[in-house]
Amino acid sequence: MFWRRRRTDEDFTDEIASHLESEIDRLVEEGVPPDEAAARARRAFGNVARTRERFYEARRFVLFEQFKQDLRYAWRGLWHSRAFVATTVLTLAVGMGLVTVVFAVFNAYVLRPFAVHDPYSLHLAGWRAKEASGASFRWRDYEDFRARTDLFDGVIAETRRTVTMRDRQLSVGFVSGNYFGTLAPRVALGRGLIESDARSNGSEPVIILTDDTWARLFDRDPSIVGREIELGGHHLVVVGVMAPEFSGMDEVPRDAWVPITMHGVLLNGDDPFGPDDRRLQITVRLRYDVTATLAQAAVPLEPFETRVAGRRDPVSVELTPRPTPVRMTRGQLAVLAPVFVAFALVLIAACANASNVMLARASARHREIGIRLSIGASRGRVVRQLLTEGLLIATLAGALALVLASVLRRLGTYFFVVMLPPTIAARVRFVPFDFDHRVFMFTMIVACAVTMLFALLPALQATRMSLTDALRGQLTAAIRSSALRGLLVTSQVTVSLVLLIFAATLVRNGSAIRATNIGMDTNGVVVARGGNGSGLVRKAYEEVSTDSRAAEIAVASRSPLFGTSPPAPIRRPSGLVVASYAFVSPEYFNLLRIPILHGRSFSAQEAATEAPIAIVSAAGARVLWPGEDPIGKTVRVNIEPPGQKIVADTVKSLRVIRETDATATEVTIVGVAQDVINGFVYQGLDPAHLYLPTHPGSVRVTTVLIRGRGSLQVGAVRSLLLRVSPDPMAFDVLAVDEMVALQMFPLRVASWVGSLLSAIALLLSISGLYGVLTYMFGQRIKEIGVRMALGASAGAVRRLVFRQAARLSAAGAVLGLAAAFTVMKLLSSVVHLDNVSVVDPVAFGVSFFLICIAVALASYGPARKAARVDPSTMLRTET
Amino acid sequence: MSIKKRESEQIALLQGTLDLLILRTLLFGPQHGQGIARAIQQQADHELLVDHGSLYPALQRLESRGWIDAEWGTSTNNRKARFYTLTKAGRKQLVQETRQWRRLVAAIGRIIGPEEA
Repeated sequence: MFWRRRRTDEDFTDEIASHLESEIDRLVEEGVPPDEAAARARRAFGNVARTRERFYEARRFVLFEQFKQDLRYAWRGLWHSRAFVATTVLTLAVGMGLVTVVFAVFNAYVLRPFAVHDPYSLHLAGWRAKEASGASFRWRDYEDFRARTDLFDGVIAETRRTVTMRDRQLSVGFVSGNYFGTLAPRVALGRGLIESDARSNGSEPVIILTDDTWARLFDRDPSIVGREIELGGHHLVVVGVMAPEFSGMDEVPRDAWVPITMHGVLLNGDDPFGPDDRRLQITVRLRYDVTATLAQAAVPLEPFETRVAGRRDPVSVELTPRPTPVRMTRGQLAVLAPVFVAFALVLIAACANASNVMLARASARHREIGIRLSIGASRGRVVRQLLTEGLLIATLAGALALVLASVLRRLGTYFFVVMLPPTIAARVRFVPFDFDHRVFMFTMIVACAVTMLFALLPALQATRMSLTDALRGQLTAAIRSSALRGLLVTSQVTVSLVLLIFAATLVRNGSAIRATNIGMDTNGVVVARGGNGSGLVRKAYEEVSTDSRAAEIAVASRSPLFGTSPPAPIRRPSGLVVASYAFVSPEYFNLLRIPILHGRSFSAQEAATEAPIAIVSAAGARVLWPGEDPIGKTVRVNIEPPGQKIVADTVKSLRVIRETDATATEVTIVGVAQDVINGFVYQGLDPAHLYLPTHPGSVRVTTVLIRGRGSLQVGAVRSLLLRVSPDPMAFDVLAVDEMVALQMFPLRVASWVGSLLSAIALLLSISGLYGVLTYMFGQRIKEIGVRMALGASAGAVRRLVFRQAARLSAAGAVLGLAAAFTVMKLLSSVVHLDNVSVVDPVAFGVSFFLICIAVALASYGPARKAARVDPSTMLRTET
Repeated sequence: MSIKKRESEQIALLQGTLDLLILRTLLFGPQHGQGIARAIQQQADHELLVDHGSLYPALQRLESRGWIDAEWGTSTNNRKARFYTLTKAGRKQLVQETRQWRRLVAAIGRIIGPEEA
């Protein structure tokens, strides 16, 4: 329809020609002489060219054709001012590149579905009991799920373990035989696992590799399928390699998959099929005609132990959609929002900067624009022309941003891993966040939005002029004293100040936390944690004791600084005090150099019998017995049953536990220990902590702490422990200092990123301010000449420039301070960390000072130039 | 300069009435642009000023709305010309516009009263 009706210009011209000829024919027939006839026909027709123009403009393609013209014109124009284009493109590309990287990460975890068949029908199974909830199941629960073929098109089970291959730690998924059949990811080489691979325990020693493992460990050996490789001391045959886009169904990628029936073989007989062994992650594929609500109500589970040993609680099933690695909840979005905002602010700073430059350029072109307007271009047409230039710049910047982003992605990943403690770095895996069509689309959309941001305002400004002024070469007042310029400078200062305050707060908190006294000496202390059977820990303790390099050895129910200690709610007249607790051997205090401030430590006798006594932390003593001597006082504490490998994944409410659990133990306080940080460094010193006595043979003990002489470091301890158990994964050996470093890690990353962002924003606003001021005083140069001719000194002119700069930035500074203060106040109501101060006056002060220096720097150049104006030449020149 | 004098006495077309006139002219059969212009002028007894140039954008507009169709053909004096025909939708439009025009004329007539001699 549309295409059929389209007529060419030639066709229309022919028609007009035919009209004129017919008209002449008619007039000649009426007896008019031919010359006269031609003139009359034309007169009757009117303006031929105008008619053709109207025909042309009525066509729907005119917009497109004008866009093509604009684009050609813009390209030529920009080619002539390459320096301007280069700086603008680079500025915008930096802003857009940063935003693109953030989006790529967000995309990889939250938006991009798993590369499997129909990811949107996949749901993760979880359970919920009265007091707890979790996501780990027993094998027989899996069989219950599997039996319901009326609800599910497929049910898969997986349990993850770390296994060593060629001295590298691999994250291995032990999966049910239908895993690959149900998910149907793309296979690069060989095949996935099939049902018969997991038919009976230990029958099929086969392994599937990810593309990443194949590349890293086997150099993409094309003949890998059928090769026998060694994993955790056992030989497995590689039967397949997955395509690069599939790396498992988790936010932590897998390195390889093995049939779940090989679990026992690879991990010293530890298999996940025990009747009460709860460690399977179950993913179901819902049938198309079944809803999650229906399915979760229809699967009954046999009660299992959720929190209290020996007590089976009724549990119900919960199914949550699992198409992507991370399901974004509103809470998570709220936590991540400041990150997004910080990056968006850099982009806004970049846009404001580009906008300033565009405005200056547009007003330098006001004569050209004036001519176009006066020969009949509509204002909309000129605005469109200027926007096209903007779009061209933004598109170039977008392309460069993608390049920058991919470089940043590599650099970022590299530095991220380098900054991690080495033992941890070996285990870190990222979901590959390569750029797919979503990232590409995002960048393009950002480019368009950016065009609107940085090119529209200047374009509207530049075309708001009176034609006579423009042609005379006089800049209209509209541009010189516009609110727009004030807005741009203000927004730039605001954004930079907010970012600076963010960064300063991060840096200051980071260094404050690094300087935190954790209350104990962890330097040179190595912990070996082995949760699998207490006999092993005892053997490890004995093995290490015989080594002469071990200066001090202690055991504990948990290692310090490895997450929060288990809670022990204590009822006091003043209310419920939530203390934490740990079982430790008497040597623990000496080994970690924790002084006993008052009372005494445990005796060997008390340790051996796990006597009902406790040492309380100083802070705990103050909270529990304010103003009293805690020694000899008793307290009833709820202790988790020992030997429970898996308790509730999340504890719903401590109050509920207090009511329902009557198995509390009464303990007597014998000493007060100095406060230390047992949990997370950013949370500060433990509010109340109880130490209970234990000995190496106790079932509660999971951790051996060793302070070695000289050479007894992590590696040496690890090889010592190989004598206890040949399985290298039986113990998790780490230096406590590494744990501290790991805890600092997010802060270090945050302060790095924060500093980088604010440095970029600061640079952008300095250059933006410089541009605006230079341009502004370029416009006022005649006025300055007059002032100097009338006797103004160079100093007075300089002061004039600085005053103007200060006036422009003052509004931005006030806004920035207010915005930052509001955001920080909001944040501090969300973040409750004792060791972190969110509203930090020093950070505000330092940032404000920095922005003042930036403004002064930016106005220095223009001020010098203005002061050098020679009045006599200035007044003579014509502009 | 008789023509010029006559032109100044002619009435300029009211906005939107050209479409109606074109459609009405085409009711008698296919016609080319120049023919339409001539027909309008003759039928109006040269009272109306039809700018031939403005005729073509109007034809273009009507064609794109689907009220008329066009085809190249040969005119009576053997010239190539683009002939326009009224479509079904065009007929309907003509009926509707005619009715509207009549109502408009009647309404305005009532307001300005009977013609004074």
